[in-house]
Amino acid sequence: MTTTPTRTFKQKLILGLSKLYPMAKRALYRFHGGVFPRYNKELSLSHPLITDFIPKTLVLPLQQHVGVITEPLVTLGDLVLKNQLLANTEKGLAAPIHAPTSGKIVAIEERTLPHASGLSGLSIILESDQKDQAIENSLDVDGSIPEMPDKLKALIHRAGIVGMGGAGFPTFAKIPSQKGQIKYLLINGAECEPFITCDDVLMQTRANDIVQGALIVAQSLGIEHILCGIEDNKGKAIKAMQKAAKDTNVQIKVVVTAYPMGGQTQLTQELTGIELPAHTHAIDVGVLMMNVATFAAIYQAVIHGNPLTSRYVTVSGLGLNHPFNIDARLGSSFKELALLAEPKTPLTYPLIKGGPMMGIEMQSNDVPIIKTTNCILATPPEPMEEPMPCIRCGECMDACPINLLPQQLYWHSRSHEFDKVEELKVFDCIECGCCSFVCPSHIPLVQYYRFAKSEIKHIKQEEATAELAKKRHEFRQERLEREKKEREDRIRAKKEAVKQKAAQKASAETTETEKPKANAAAAAAARAAKARAAKNGKETPPAEPKLSARDRAIAAAKKRTDAASKPTESNTTTPTKKQKDKPKDPKAAAMAAAKKRAAKAAKEKHSTQADATASTETDATDTTDTMKDKRAAAVEAARQKAAEKKRAKQSEQPENDSLETPSVATKPSDETTATPNKASDAKRKAAMAAAKARAKKQQSKTTEEKT
Amino acid sequence: MISAILIFLALAILFGILLGYASVRFKIEGNPVAEQIDNVLPQTQCGQCGFPGCKPYAEALAKGESEVNLCVPGGHEVMIQISEITHREPKEMEAEPENIAQKIVAKIDEDICIGCVHCIKACPVDAILGATKMMHTVIESECTGCEKCIPVCPVDCIAMIPEEVTPQTWGWPEPTPQEAPLIQTFPPKD
Ligand code: SF4
Ligand code: SF4
Ligand code: SF4
Ligand code: SF4
Repeated sequence: MTTTPTRTFKQKLILGLSKLYPMAKRALYRFHGGVFPRYNKELSLSHPLITDFIPKTLVLPLQQHVGVITEPLVTLGDLVLKNQLLANTEKGLAAPIHAPTSGKIVAIEERTLPHASGLSGLSIILESDQKDQAIENSLDVDGSIPEMPDKLKALIHRAGIVGMGGAGFPTFAKIPSQKGQIKYLLINGAECEPFITCDDVLMQTRANDIVQGALIVAQSLGIEHILCGIEDNKGKAIKAMQKAAKDTNVQIKVVVTAYPMGGQTQLTQELTGIELPAHTHAIDVGVLMMNVATFAAIYQAVIHGNPLTSRYVTVSGLGLNHPFNIDARLGSSFKELALLAEPKTPLTYPLIKGGPMMGIEMQSNDVPIIKTTNCILATPPEPMEEPMPCIRCGECMDACPINLLPQQLYWHSRSHEFDKVEELKVFDCIECGCCSFVCPSHIPLVQYYRFAKSEIKHIKQEEATAELAKKRHEFRQERLEREKKEREDRIRAKKEAVKQKAAQKASAETTETEKPKANAAAAAAARAAKARAAKNGKETPPAEPKLSARDRAIAAAKKRTDAASKPTESNTTTPTKKQKDKPKDPKAAAMAAAKKRAAKAAKEKHSTQADATASTETDATDTTDTMKDKRAAAVEAARQKAAEKKRAKQSEQPENDSLETPSVATKPSDETTATPNKASDAKRKAAMAAAKARAKKQQSKTTEEKT
Repeated sequence: MISAILIFLALAILFGILLGYASVRFKIEGNPVAEQIDNVLPQTQCGQCGFPGCKPYAEALAKGESEVNLCVPGGHEVMIQISEITHREPKEMEAEPENIAQKIVAKIDEDICIGCVHCIKACPVDAILGATKMMHTVIESECTGCEKCIPVCPVDCIAMIPEEVTPQTWGWPEPTPQEAPLIQTFPPKD
């Protein structure tokens, strides 16, 4: 490690040696492994930065970060200004999204995401008016540096800043809430991936923003040491940063050019000598590292009140005539930018998001730039090297910066022994691609690890759901048991009460002559009798052996008497009890609530019919009878409804694409008419097919039942 | 000679006491085999094994009263695991699960549902929410896809649909299987 570009004797010796044995360069830095690919950085550096390009349409996915999806705050047809808040959510970890330019919201719909899966996600589509009218200071700051970490965090959150180096973790969540927890603030300007030069250009053009941004964070978090690591192949950037950092306590450290120097663990080790233990956060060891672009964004937010709406992106690759860097508006299309760079051959091959080592091929070229996109790579496909069997040369092991055993990982991933893969710490793998790069057999090792990681996650998920299902099933069993017991208790109590009533009647025959079965009166009498019975029961001396059962019965009877006067509140005791049993489980609570509602509804029905008979038993049979009738009617009605719907659907199929309910479908809905694209078309078709299948099934079922 | 016998006798008594103590002190409650089997069962609670849930089947297996190949959703893999735990001969599955690749969940067509609560009663994991004469709905994350609610619905408004894949749940596919063997044997025979 050197603080100046001048080299020591040892370094000279190693560099000399590296002409014979390239891997000798590994002795120049602290972390294990690493590789030295061809950088090709001059491609995009040879053309000036583009700053004034505003695309016609911008696609802003509602989720550009790790965490939960944001909710749109604008509606169709809204005119928005640059920096205006478009989407946010309070539901969890998220970063709000702001308008990158002024224009009109033309749609909020599913669009293909810049994700390896090629799946689509809800996005806001903004049509720019090319005027680029902005709201100045839209975050409403006074330009002073927040003294407390909490204030800084809130501001960074509002500005929608996420880690711009790659992962896209919302930056505010990375910052500790207490002062003095961090010892080293690290500025990551290493940019080790080949082809990518956006950070380089950023450091050349906005060095002051970066340094000031770092000073802001350091001041509000009370950090003493600020170190900035820049690889020694970026001479201009080093000079610019040194100039900006003059008279501040920001130290610019020049590090050797090696891949993956820009990895968090690697650069931390290189700059501070601290080796981050696995599964710990850098914060726990007093280190906070952020990308240069993140610091520049923080500066813009804190001093000028500008949210994150654009970022530097490298558009490069061997397939382009005019590669460049661009201060791209978020939401610009990959394809549009690549076309701007004059591709040598038509873009019939997939563009790559990121660099050649860690980049991911896109399933569609028409995907937007999001906050984490640092590079668009257009490399025409070359004939793939045929993978050969592993020869156990151990090159991959020597190259792995995390010190894993890539060859073992490959072996077990390939034979689906995922428990062993996990034991070998596949989750520590940063997917840097060093192992694939050096493998003489051209085995796509990283692909195997990605697959293994997905599988392990999937298995874990399945285990968790199985566990949950087991618990819920057991809980249900328990509940059924309990309900059964309660029902039995109730019946016993009722019988008891009837017996008592009979006894009472016999004794009071002289005074209480047989009354006509006037409903209300009978009910009242029954109630009174029950109450009396309850009283009697209580007064009987506790000599009888069956006391406990009886006591319970009496209590139950009493409860029922109470319930008779307050019909809507009865029967709810069971669910409430259950609620108490498991108050933490919201689902259980919801179930309980639903049950309560059901009970209430049932009880209401009961109470309306209660005057017909005094005894609840006959009442119950009555209701079931009527219910049966009703249900038959309802079934018929529902079937008719369904059939009608089906017919409506079928009749509308030829001219209308929408699959909403008929009433909606007939309305010319804005969303369906606006720019019908391929993806939604396909989806619609699929939905249609499903609906058809469902309808058919229903039809066959009904006919089956009729015959 | 005598001393040797005495020593061994003393040792025998000592270890006897130790073992006896250990068997009392570290006694295992319940039936560990049933527990073990229950853990490998998929917990769909579908009853396709002929038992009212996964646990009863596990218990029956532990007692040796049932065949090892009855769990349909678990398929071949679970059958092998069961036979390993119970030390019994593996037996070919009679029925195979149709859709192993993707989890399916029940979905109620809320326009048709008449709120008869039949499905609630059928669901073994209480994954259906609703009340009498109200629309019912399935909590997707809780549904095990057991299909028990399908036949009981009088208006046939429940359908099994594959769970939607989101970028969060999406997984990388396996790299294309290569022709090259894991280890090349020499000399290649021809
Ligand atoms: S991709 Fe993973 S296993 Fe391969 S070198 Fe990088 S960290 Fe090591
Ligand atoms: S570098 Fe390739 S061939 Fe060599 S041990 Fe690793 S996986 Fe096998
Ligand atoms: S909702 Fe239906 S398919 Fe899902 S667990 Fe309940 S009964 Fe089974
Ligand atoms: S069984 Fe069918 S109609 Fe009855 S509540 Fe369930 S979904 Fe609705």
